[in-house]
Amino acid sequence: MIQTVVYGLTIGAILYFFSVGLALTFGTMHIINFAHGMVYTLGVYLFITFLQAFGQSFPAALAASLLAMLPVAWVIERFVIRRLYGESLDYAIIATYGVLLIGTDAIKMVWGTTPYPVNDPIGVAVPLAGMDLPLYRIAIVLSAFALYVALRAFFRRSLVGRVVVAALEDADGVRCLGIDVNRHFSIVFVLGSALAVLGGILYAPISTADPYMGFHILLLAFAVVIVGGMGNLNGTFLAALALGMVMAVTGRYWSQAANAMVFAVMALVILLRPREAH
Amino acid sequence: MLEVARLDAGYGPARVLHDVRLAVRPGEMVFVVGRNGAGKTTLLKTIAGLLPPTAGEIRFEGRLVAGLPPERRARMGFRYVNQEKRVFSRLSVRSNIELAARGAGVSFESAWSRAVALYPKLDEFRELPAGRLSGGQREILLIGRALAGQPRLLLIDEPTEGLAAIVIEDILRILECMRQSVSAIIVEQNLTVVRRLADRIYVMKEGRIVHEIADPRQLAGSEQLECFL
Amino acid sequence: MNSRAPCPGFSVPPAPRGGLVGELALIAAGLVLLSFVIRIHWMADFAVFFILVLSFDLLYGYMGHLSFGHMLYFGAGAYGAALWLVYGNASALLALGVGIAAAAGMAAILGGIVLRTHGASFALINMAFNEIGHFLVQSPLAAYTLGEDGLSCTADPLFGFISLYEDRWAFAFSAAVLLAVFALLRVLTRSPFGLLVRSIRENESRVQFLGYDTFRFKWITFVIASTIAALAGALFTLIQGFVSPRVISPFGNVDVIFAVLIGGAGYLGGALIGAAVFLAIKNFLPVMIPELSRWLEVKLPQWELWLGIVLLVIVFSLRGGIVGTLRARLRKPRAVEAGA
Repeated sequence: MIQTVVYGLTIGAILYFFSVGLALTFGTMHIINFAHGMVYTLGVYLFITFLQAFGQSFPAALAASLLAMLPVAWVIERFVIRRLYGESLDYAIIATYGVLLIGTDAIKMVWGTTPYPVNDPIGVAVPLAGMDLPLYRIAIVLSAFALYVALRAFFRRSLVGRVVVAALEDADGVRCLGIDVNRHFSIVFVLGSALAVLGGILYAPISTADPYMGFHILLLAFAVVIVGGMGNLNGTFLAALALGMVMAVTGRYWSQAANAMVFAVMALVILLRPREAH
Repeated sequence: MLEVARLDAGYGPARVLHDVRLAVRPGEMVFVVGRNGAGKTTLLKTIAGLLPPTAGEIRFEGRLVAGLPPERRARMGFRYVNQEKRVFSRLSVRSNIELAARGAGVSFESAWSRAVALYPKLDEFRELPAGRLSGGQREILLIGRALAGQPRLLLIDEPTEGLAAIVIEDILRILECMRQSVSAIIVEQNLTVVRRLADRIYVMKEGRIVHEIADPRQLAGSEQLECFL
Repeated sequence: MNSRAPCPGFSVPPAPRGGLVGELALIAAGLVLLSFVIRIHWMADFAVFFILVLSFDLLYGYMGHLSFGHMLYFGAGAYGAALWLVYGNASALLALGVGIAAAAGMAAILGGIVLRTHGASFALINMAFNEIGHFLVQSPLAAYTLGEDGLSCTADPLFGFISLYEDRWAFAFSAAVLLAVFALLRVLTRSPFGLLVRSIRENESRVQFLGYDTFRFKWITFVIASTIAALAGALFTLIQGFVSPRVISPFGNVDVIFAVLIGGAGYLGGALIGAAVFLAIKNFLPVMIPELSRWLEVKLPQWELWLGIVLLVIVFSLRGGIVGTLRARLRKPRAVEAGA
């Protein structure tokens, strides 16, 4: 039972890391950003390469791949996302999907299609209620909670954060006060991308890296963003943990049904929610 | 100060404004009246930079501004107050003003003291989420936001719409206070308000300006103004 | 969500004129020409994809509802037909009917649910149902569908003599169905009903203000589009004699969406051209690229990268797809003449 809870929270934590960026792009710019999956995957592959280069030092490789991904995220924001601002939903989906396809293919060219395993950087298990729980999983869960607290502070206290909160509600109003929202959106976009990369790297040791890993987490993260309320940051956190638990509990009894159950929950939430304005 | 010439604008393929010409002189408070759907809000949004014009010119102190984004116009001194009384409801009243001060490049303290000078009660709501304010308080907060820094041209959309008489008095007092120091284009349906404050009135109909009333004090009463609509 | 595109006025372009018979002849000629270029074995598959793309164009191009779950209905049609052939009898017509009816019933029920949402929610809730359908076929219903292994099935020849396992017959029959679907959709989209559906795309609340129950029209359109997709799916089963969960996989939606966009959403002819171009990219690039890279002696990326580039080009400089762009180009000189 405890094992299931920890597994669910781990999945939820990774989903949260990934979904924050997706929710922010949706909330601020009304863009469903498929390119997020590409950033996630590319970050993990860079991490694997750096890991070999830096003699298996997890923190060094993590820092290096995060740094390396910042300019990539910036380029995507500057040359694709920003040009889609105010466009209809479908064009944004198609353009960002194009970026995902290009990135996935480039990854396949450079690294091939064979999955890469990554070692658990902690490698210690703690005995709990008669079971051995990997300490690493607990660390992931704790870091998701830490991220939640940090983001909350960021959006409440920092000026950039408050500009974004205001723009989530009324971007035109912010612009009419003389504030360049695009600049703030790109900061937030790069931040969201970095968090996705971080999530991917944290997840790598308990999964394997393959070129399509971004596609798979994208579908689940869509469910998180929708269930969490389309750009609602607290909602995203709760939805990520809840859907992670749904996956873990379902998977415990019927492993093939885990993904389908997430989508069933999402469909249910859309139906039960009061009709949205259009 | 502001000159609008041959302005056409609209949403997508639907043209709303046709050949609009108007001018605002320094310190002048100009009102735009007209029935629903006459294009008043579209006019303000086009001047503020939220809608791209399809033709025509907008000049501010001789400079063409038609191609500039809203934030650039705001930095030149434009301020737009929306019709829906939409404040940043998840942020505190204080943060609302803080963002305005940031956009205008002035300190929070000076923006705050200006806002409180207009409406002392604002101090009580300082840490309250702006979403909890009443309609009238929101309008006042919006005007306070607009007055942070040194605005040159205020564009206010229906400041008294949906408000109780007593709140309207507060807003009239605030508008009266800022007269002289700033020019304004105000869209208003309440003709009594228009007659009390207007230096000049434009009447809009079907996306065009059909009348200009150069001296509203000559009007016998708001009934006479009604005739133009 | 969609209402972010500012379109309060009606701007539905007038339906283009042109004889239906002429268009059908053109399509038939195009198909025959294509069959000389590529192996006839592929032609029936192409025709099936054309039908699927046409059905999606009705939903997305004409009604403006982007769905990530259209393959659910294609898959339901395919599995419906296959299950009938395996557990019912070997009649091809009955299999076709069962597949279509099953998917239509599903669309009627699910349509009532998904159409309560708009924009991003609509796209993603359809994806959710598609994912669930994919899962059902793979796992809980594996006793009947044989899961990942797929299901082989054989049908008797249609009307006693049309064997769809022969390439020529398969091509002829699926081409005939394609022409019939095109004719149906052409008539439908030019009817008052079609105008209303296009108006819903432009501005649904305006149509509501005019007193129409837009939900009913959306529901009818959704069911029609899904049923035609199911027809394509059932046809697929009859031609292939084999179905696997791939036919109901949500990833297939991407192909359909891109085909419509490449050609130009909202034009039936555009959907066909887009489907042809998409199939060319998808089928020939993977063959040509290895050749080309051997010849150039450099490692070249796979076809997905090129498709990604095509998509970015469409979004940033070829809005309206091939047909939409051509139309705009052709119309401009005419407008100048009229003005002079």
